[in-house]
Amino acid sequence: MRVIDLALKDLSQLLRDWKSALFLVAMPIVFTTMFSFLFGGGQEDMRLPVGVWNQDGGSVLSIGLMELMQVSGVIRPQLLEEKGASDIERMVRNEDLAAAVIIPAGYDDLLRLPSGDARVTVVLDEASTAAITAQNEIQAAVARVSGAVQAAHLSTEAFEGQAGFADEAAKRQFFDEALAQAITAWQDPPLTVTTTQSGAIAVAPEEEEDGGSDSGNAAHSSAGIMVQFAIAGLIGAAEILVVERKTKALQRLLTTAISRVEIILGHFLAMLIMILGQMVILVAFGQLVFGVDYLREPLAILLVMLALALWTASLGLLIGTLAKNEEQSTMLSLMLMFVLAGLGGAWIPLEFTPKAFQTVGHLTPTAWAIDGLENVIVRGLGLQSVLLPCAVLLGFAVVCFGLGVWRFKFE
Amino acid sequence: MKTLDIALKDLLRAARSAFFWVFAFGVPFLTAVLFYFAFGGLAGQGDFDLPKTAIAVVNLDEPTALSGGFSAGQMLVDFLSSDELGQLLQVTVADDAAGARAAVDNQQVGVAVIIPAGLTTAAFGSQERAAIELYQDPTLTLGPSIVKGIVSQLVDGFAGSKIAVDVAREQLAGQGATAGPVALQNIAMQYGQWSAQLGEGFEEGANPLLDIRPIGGEEGPDLRIRIISQVLAGMMVFYVFTTAANSAISILQEEEAGTLPRLFTTPTPQSNILGGKFLYIFFTLVIQIVVLVVVTGLIFGIDWGTPLPVAVVTLAVVVLAASFGLFVASLLKDTRQGGIVIGGGMTMLGMVAMARTFGVASPDAMGVVNVISLFVPHGWAVRAWQELLTGGGLSDIWWIALVMLALGGLFFTFGLLRFRRRFA
Repeated sequence: MRVIDLALKDLSQLLRDWKSALFLVAMPIVFTTMFSFLFGGGQEDMRLPVGVWNQDGGSVLSIGLMELMQVSGVIRPQLLEEKGASDIERMVRNEDLAAAVIIPAGYDDLLRLPSGDARVTVVLDEASTAAITAQNEIQAAVARVSGAVQAAHLSTEAFEGQAGFADEAAKRQFFDEALAQAITAWQDPPLTVTTTQSGAIAVAPEEEEDGGSDSGNAAHSSAGIMVQFAIAGLIGAAEILVVERKTKALQRLLTTAISRVEIILGHFLAMLIMILGQMVILVAFGQLVFGVDYLREPLAILLVMLALALWTASLGLLIGTLAKNEEQSTMLSLMLMFVLAGLGGAWIPLEFTPKAFQTVGHLTPTAWAIDGLENVIVRGLGLQSVLLPCAVLLGFAVVCFGLGVWRFKFE
Repeated sequence: MKTLDIALKDLLRAARSAFFWVFAFGVPFLTAVLFYFAFGGLAGQGDFDLPKTAIAVVNLDEPTALSGGFSAGQMLVDFLSSDELGQLLQVTVADDAAGARAAVDNQQVGVAVIIPAGLTTAAFGSQERAAIELYQDPTLTLGPSIVKGIVSQLVDGFAGSKIAVDVAREQLAGQGATAGPVALQNIAMQYGQWSAQLGEGFEEGANPLLDIRPIGGEEGPDLRIRIISQVLAGMMVFYVFTTAANSAISILQEEEAGTLPRLFTTPTPQSNILGGKFLYIFFTLVIQIVVLVVVTGLIFGIDWGTPLPVAVVTLAVVVLAASFGLFVASLLKDTRQGGIVIGGGMTMLGMVAMARTFGVASPDAMGVVNVISLFVPHGWAVRAWQELLTGGGLSDIWWIALVMLALGGLFFTFGLLRFRRRFA
């Protein structure tokens, strides 16, 4: 009972300050919204905008290339009227465009030659993954246009071998008709590659063509933000321990009937409840506003939340033990938040990092917490899938709690 | 003089704190190192050095009499398992579609490539269609995108052969001629050869279709350095603003310790005392930025720009951050409130300013984010550094510096007024 009283005292101390309470709740919500938006949520056409500067006028092949890019599910070509090279580069640098395509003058004529050696220029920022995705799609469209020219050549040669043309004009007309048919055929090719996803947020084919679903983007953001801000929540909570030690409140408590174990457990319980409360708000927000299906496996999600909260609260206890003053407590919480969130993949998915970084990342509890949450809300797996992440988190919790208790000082 | 004395006294006190050193210099540097290695997978030696993707391939395709025993599915399996793709893919062959999907579900592989039974039939028949299914782990984006690009390249080769054959058949028929099976097979073969040659062109490293023009030209810095420098600029701004606010808290600490009220009883004017506090923050931030710019320049080779624009941006950022820190501290009731408000608030504002660094999915979103980031003071500072890092000069940053100085003036005035009222 004393443990609960102490925990309630800590909680009322935290919530009494509306500014602190606001940050604990509002910040993660704002960030989940912002990151979901950044990763593509809330837009009608989520295809990557690609500027096209057609210097080859109204030529058949440049228009054919535009049409093939237009049917892409990944890029959205936009004609850049009257733009110069420097304007285009600026638009790409400012990330108004994922990339820009410059179809050079004479492209059509060059591509029709048997050598077919005509290239289009692509302006992009090599450091951007959006640009690399756009480049792949532009390349596929350019290859298809070249393929259409090749098909027209082969048809023309076949007819020429059989019957021959009356004159050059007849041959050109035959070639043009074959080319038009081939370009049309490429807009709906007979062999395709489709993508399907496993899991709770499996994307419908029409959404896949548009680059993903809102709930999918939010689900990716939601897990990372929840883990990061669980640690951020410690900034205030760990500070209470520091202040109580500084003001001798802990020592005074020892003169009462409450035991040392009860004092430590009381403070630990307050942090646990605060973090769990923060997570419940985030889960409800994700579920209701973004349609992230946390409730598809409530028991699995509850287990991950509990394991994550236990580890984070144990970390809070350790920070509160090690920090000598409020400043140190804040700095330690922030440092750990940044390092653990960065290494654990809360900012950059570990998929993008080298093998060694991924291995190091999985030495952090944050990576395991994100894995546990994503197993349910993104991969659509069940209770079984969260057992290992939870076990690892509990292991970290035991270590942090043990160190915290071992080093705990009442004065 | 007294203003300077107060500033120096506070600087000395801060210099004695190990946490100050760790937070002001150690953590920003550590973060840079972290990102340096994190992005190593994408941009190893200036080129894209992509992490290997594990895939499971199941080939349900069956050769037909029409194809003369040739299997398009087997060709795809051989292509994916070839040595040339060994740097990108780690291939295992599954017995059936369920097994391949299970491998994805169990996170043993990132993508299952399911080749349908009728792939060869569709490649050689006239009406048939086929789709290769890529079943992917939904948490992955980069690996599946690479696999899709590779598979699509080969599938487009088959589709192109079929289109070439169909076009020849119909065009010849339109002219009253008939393309015989041998002629059509010949067309398919020739198209296949052309497609293979195109593929070989890519393998040789030269792109036969596109002339890639990176922004900033070919002579720009190493790709990894470009990514790191953008991230580091954001991180530096975040830590500078947090250091400023945290340093401004010393006013509240002195108020709580009773030293500040005692100082106010001395002949030193209140404005000198607060000015001293501001100068202390100012010097701290100047040192912090100079150290970070020099150290990251020496270790990572980051080119922050020419001295004059760098000095202008440094000055403007320091004035803005120091004034904002003073303003934030003036809003706080006590130091206890400072922990979460400064820690949380600065994190929030810093991440809004750095949002573009994380926004990899959509340039549309970037446009909005670029505007939103300018609603927070950190955003202007990040914008200025990014201009310098992308080769901008004085003409590109002077107006940003002016905005920062103006904002700094406003925050300083508000902060000072609030403190004056508080200590009146």
